Amino acid sequence: MSDWKLKRQILQVGAFLLLMVAVLSIYIGYLAVWKGQELAENPLNMRGAAAKADIRRGTILDAHGRVLAQTNDDGSRNYPLGSVMAQVTGYNGENIGSAGLEGHANRELLGLTADMTRLGPVSQLLQTERGNDLKTTIEADAQQAAFDGLAGRKGAVVVLDADTGAVLAMVSSPSYDPNNVEANWKSMSQEADGPLLNRTVQGLYPPGSTIKPMIADAALTEGVTSEQETFDCPGVLDVGGGHSIRESHGEVHNRVDLRKALTESCNVTFGTLGMRLGDAKLKKAFERFGFDQSIGGEIVMTSSHLPEFGTLGTGDQAQTAIGQSTLLVTPMHMALLASAFAHGGTVMKPYLVQEVITPSGIVVHRAAPEKWLTVTTAEMAAKIHNYMEDVVTKGTGRAAQVSGVEVAGKTGTAENPQGEDHAWFIGSAKLRNRNIAFAIIVENGGGGGKVAAPIARKIILSLQN
Amino acid sequence: MKNWGLLTAPLGIFLCGMTILYLKMQGSVQKVTNNTLQDPLTYVPYLVIAVFLTIVIQMVVIRRKLDTFILPIILMLVSIGLVEIARLKPALLLRQLQWLCIAMLVMFLVIRLWPKIRQMLNYPYLLGIGCVILLGLPLLFGTEIGGSKNWLVLGPISLQPSEFGKIVLLFFLASYLSDHRKVLTLPAHKILFLRLPPLRFIAPLICIWGMAVLMFVVEKDLGSALLFFGMAVLMTYMATGSKSYVFLALAFMGMAAAASYAMFGHVRVRFDIWLNPWADPNGMAYQVVQSLFAIGTGGLWGTGFGFGHPGFIPEVHTDFIFSAIVEEMGLTAGLMLIICYALLFWRGIKGALRLKNTTEALLMAGCGVLILLQMFIIVAGVTKFLPLTGITLPFVSYGGSSMVSSFILLAMLLSLTKEQKNV
Repeated sequence: MSDWKLKRQILQVGAFLLLMVAVLSIYIGYLAVWKGQELAENPLNMRGAAAKADIRRGTILDAHGRVLAQTNDDGSRNYPLGSVMAQVTGYNGENIGSAGLEGHANRELLGLTADMTRLGPVSQLLQTERGNDLKTTIEADAQQAAFDGLAGRKGAVVVLDADTGAVLAMVSSPSYDPNNVEANWKSMSQEADGPLLNRTVQGLYPPGSTIKPMIADAALTEGVTSEQETFDCPGVLDVGGGHSIRESHGEVHNRVDLRKALTESCNVTFGTLGMRLGDAKLKKAFERFGFDQSIGGEIVMTSSHLPEFGTLGTGDQAQTAIGQSTLLVTPMHMALLASAFAHGGTVMKPYLVQEVITPSGIVVHRAAPEKWLTVTTAEMAAKIHNYMEDVVTKGTGRAAQVSGVEVAGKTGTAENPQGEDHAWFIGSAKLRNRNIAFAIIVENGGGGGKVAAPIARKIILSLQN
Repeated sequence: MKNWGLLTAPLGIFLCGMTILYLKMQGSVQKVTNNTLQDPLTYVPYLVIAVFLTIVIQMVVIRRKLDTFILPIILMLVSIGLVEIARLKPALLLRQLQWLCIAMLVMFLVIRLWPKIRQMLNYPYLLGIGCVILLGLPLLFGTEIGGSKNWLVLGPISLQPSEFGKIVLLFFLASYLSDHRKVLTLPAHKILFLRLPPLRFIAPLICIWGMAVLMFVVEKDLGSALLFFGMAVLMTYMATGSKSYVFLALAFMGMAAAASYAMFGHVRVRFDIWLNPWADPNGMAYQVVQSLFAIGTGGLWGTGFGFGHPGFIPEVHTDFIFSAIVEEMGLTAGLMLIICYALLFWRGIKGALRLKNTTEALLMAGCGVLILLQMFIIVAGVTKFLPLTGITLPFVSYGGSSMVSSFILLAMLLSLTKEQKNV
């Protein structure tokens, strides 16, 4: 056999093997690059957790630099304000998962940002052994005032900066102490409406009369009434089908216009407006105010429960207009609604973290206020806001008055199947340097004007200086 | 003086790697006492010996007009392997360096004594018997280490005879096939579309295939089995160019695989893991799944040397060292390693094409094929391209037998480059 045949066969084998190696190389490239993300993030892959265990978590601060959560030298986590800040800081435990900022801002606290992890070795230059600090929008004084105001009763408080959307306080009661959440986990996690439920964004309540500012807005916008029209309130309204709506405490308002009706929280007037608006226009109003939407971003809110518009009878329409029927909303959403009238008809997107700061002091992320929705016109917002000021100056919300501060609000006393009425107060206040909006609910607390409005006063006082 | 500069690259990689590890140790909170990495004086003497041996070997290579590219390529692989072992199992670095010195010494001896060693090619049947004995030893006296019963324990040292068996097999195949090329291509029998010579000529080949299957079934050593089988098939094709053998071999392997799948539990487990590792990711398929995680986490650039967590993979310093390298140094380093092997292979094939002696040409091409094939099998195994096998990544993995046998192969390859002019 000639020599060239041997050479050809050697070459064939060589080419074949090199081809196999090339195929293998392409396959490894596919694994490392194309499938890399998926493999790296697989829940069974412990590498992410191991890398995180090497990093010291950053500190969580309030708007003035007060420490809300920090890491001790032994690596454990310490929450100086304990249960007051539980809904803000949340917790982070090996076996219990995480909640609050400890959960939502985990990557920032560990100093991992999305674009850095795939940079390879270069990311090690940027990755320190200490995570980033979070500067929140929380005002510790307002948070404390809200916490004290609830005084252990079940309920929730949300305070927003109406002009920016910054969350100034969010309190849910009963609360828990994040310092020993792991130890008490078993008993806490078994209670369905226990301390682990963040009522501000997860609690669903009938809004009661606090929905009336929106109904007033809808009635005027849709032209089913005018500011001049007067309603006759005999204390009871026949809504058809043999049902009727009554005023609370058997009051009788006699002749009222829309302004007066809101100030006195007249159920007869708003029940009438609800029936005039009908399913389609009610639905439109709820959609305008974002009740069918999620907020997006770092605030994860349970979506509202709306009545099934299109199938409602006149009774349900009237009930919906006074915040009853099957309507259920979160305190956060009511605070957003209040902020719309204090901020010219637009709702800013709520946010909790204003700055992410590296250990060396560089601000790597600064929150920019962002518009969420335009719910109504500026003129309409000013009109309703003006009505709501009357509520506080001469109506049902007088307990929220603070001398020298323009306060607007709306009380609510929501009937519910659990027992005594829920006490609501939503509204806004013009402080020296900012415009705040708030929503307060005390579960089964009774009358909103008597129980919830005083808490608003405390909060305004805490923020005034 | 040619290519001395190329030799500084591996040294640089080693020194850089050790410096990174040293600095990283300084920063860490808990100090480990008696740590090899903390005290460079413990390993520097061996490094000096290795550098000295490198210089001596390269001088011999230059004087004899051998291929001066091969040693730098291999030392690249060795230095990457050494730093990765130092990072994964610092305690084993010293042992590996000692083995490297021994392996280089053996390499030097093989190059010096090559004219005598190549006489072995004249006794094919003796080589065949030697090969059978070497491979048969663990079948009879083998000890099971790490799931494979392919180890011989002789007092303080444990050896893997198959590592040396493969070299003897290479000699045997080269010498037998070149002696019988004409007979083997004689189409004496025609069975269907196959052209086969008389049975007595292909008997030795069938014998090797049978050995390979035995190794897998009895010793649970799929890697060596695949390697031996692949060697036999590829060498036979190189010598004869007959596709009938390839077909016959594949059919033989297919039948053997099907039969052992049906008969043996551990074979079935291996294949089931390969087909669907996600069915039992924390149990039987743990190693492969962790290896895939390592490669995925590494991505294109890796996590950075010393910043990954390759420790999750059991046996990471031997069979799975490729995954650890990809995790920390990225796909880039992984492909660079593969390219080093491919370059070495190409130098081997290129050299073989210039040789006039059929036996030597086959031997030299065989050396290249053996190294590349071994790399292919283990890399394919840890990436789930093929079922997982338990062989080392030559020149990189931790292991004395593997290091010495790989350097013997290298010495053979180098010696055979003699007749070619340097490019």
